[in-house]
Amino acid sequence: MTHRFRVLKPWLFLFPAAVIYLIVILVPSLYTLGLSFFTWNGAATAQITFVGWDNYIKLFTEDTVFQLALTNTFLWTVGSVLVLTSLALLLAVVLNRQLKGRTFFRSVFYFPTILSGIVVAFTWRWMFHPEGVINGFLSLFGLGDAAPSWLADPSLAFGSVFVTSLWFGIGQPLVLFLAGLQTIPKDPYEAAIIDGATPWQQFAKITLPMLRETLIIVLATIFIGGMRVYDLIFAMTGGGPAETTQVLASWMYYQTFQFNHVGVGSAISWLLVAISMVVIVPYVRFSTRQAEQ
Amino acid sequence: MDHQSRFTRSLTYILLSLGVILFLVPLAFVLITALKSRHDLASMPFFALPTDWRWDNFPKAWTDGSLGTYIGNSVFISVIKVPLGILVEALAAFALSRMNLKGSLTIFMVFLVGMMIPMQATLVPLNIFLHHLGLVNTYPGIIFIYIGFGVPFGILILRGFFRSIPKELDEAALIDGCGDGQRFFRVILPLARPAVAALVILDFLATWNEFILAQIFLTNDKMKTVTTGLMTFVGQHLTDYTLLNAGVVMTMIPTIVVYVVFQKHFVSGVAGAVKG
Repeated sequence: MTHRFRVLKPWLFLFPAAVIYLIVILVPSLYTLGLSFFTWNGAATAQITFVGWDNYIKLFTEDTVFQLALTNTFLWTVGSVLVLTSLALLLAVVLNRQLKGRTFFRSVFYFPTILSGIVVAFTWRWMFHPEGVINGFLSLFGLGDAAPSWLADPSLAFGSVFVTSLWFGIGQPLVLFLAGLQTIPKDPYEAAIIDGATPWQQFAKITLPMLRETLIIVLATIFIGGMRVYDLIFAMTGGGPAETTQVLASWMYYQTFQFNHVGVGSAISWLLVAISMVVIVPYVRFSTRQAEQ
Repeated sequence: MDHQSRFTRSLTYILLSLGVILFLVPLAFVLITALKSRHDLASMPFFALPTDWRWDNFPKAWTDGSLGTYIGNSVFISVIKVPLGILVEALAAFALSRMNLKGSLTIFMVFLVGMMIPMQATLVPLNIFLHHLGLVNTYPGIIFIYIGFGVPFGILILRGFFRSIPKELDEAALIDGCGDGQRFFRVILPLARPAVAALVILDFLATWNEFILAQIFLTNDKMKTVTTGLMTFVGQHLTDYTLLNAGVVMTMIPTIVVYVVFQKHFVSGVAGAVKG
């Protein structure tokens, strides 16, 4: 009796989290996987038809906007990983030195991270306004006539939203890198200086290898954030002009909730899950192995 | 040598200052526009300072839309969600790290799977579920869902911190006759205060800034939060840029206050996620 109670007791502590987690995340996501093999318009009385892999096949063969969204998500993710990681690392190395006003500089660069994607979107919509600051700045250099309407031009809109995401997103990797840099001891650098190593050699041979763990975490978080980008796109361009800024998450929203193609939307969201797994599974295995040691 | 280091030092400062300007201009631009009269905005370049400082744009934006309602909703949801969510996560993390539970590592991994699943993959079933229970457009509905999405990350952070607390403390508590409940509330939770503080701030920001769930599950204008409400507000004032920007500034203020007050915890919280 008491023994059985002792075995059950941890489950009592686990119970609320487990139940909520099952109801909110695990069961719905499996349900969505099921829905991705059906066509359904979302209405309770409407017919649901099993179509096998049709939704997935049609996405890749017929849905040209999906293909664009897939390309955009790929470009966005690769771009974020490369640009954000290197910019944040550079900034962190600079801000890790003894500098006057270091705290001030850090707070400024972190700041956008705490805002919502929606607030950031409206802030930058205003920057990119045809008569906004950016074009005003261009006209100072006599480029006023060439000043484009950034978010309405199909060839510029995606890049403009991406630039916004750099302003928005640099704070988090910066904090992570700064924390990582602080754990590196001073001795290897002192030894390297005595051996006549250049600053670049010190960075490549000491700093980078010592930051390996941080680097993996930064890459994983930026990758996931890039895959899932939604708020900025939705509030800055709504996927336009001419669908040129659609990404997987936004196209999933339009397919499911605007066009009522629930099966197609579900298929898109499971493609997102599948792509995420490719990166997160090795990451979770890596981090738990580290933690259990 | 000294010459060169002075040169690089100056260059560093120049580049950093340029960066600061680049980071502050968008915010300054929004603030300046929010303080202009419509006449100033129409007759002068967009980036000129106002000639007539219109502080009354803020109360006007407040009464002209439902910004008060949106902010109130977000405050209410955050104030309930954050402590309740952390309690749920802490109880689970306690069971996973400091109780005799078989297969606790496997259970922990199952919770971590949740971080792999984008919210998009849950929206339709959650919508059906909330409709069945009549919980669409209600506080309990959205708070329940928000707590659910906070569980994996919260457990990850708290379990990591709980594991770093020495086991001798549990034994001492046991000798003093503490039950598991007392051990959790009196010993472990108070010791985990740094982790809890970091989680409070991260969780508050995540809840306050959340968009897609609020967009799907809180469609009634009276129930909207700051993010979805701001979308509506902007939609209503598309041509009135002074009022629109006043609205943007006002929804930023609570975040800024929280950030300034809890900045230390924010930094240690984001960095703490590294240690896991």
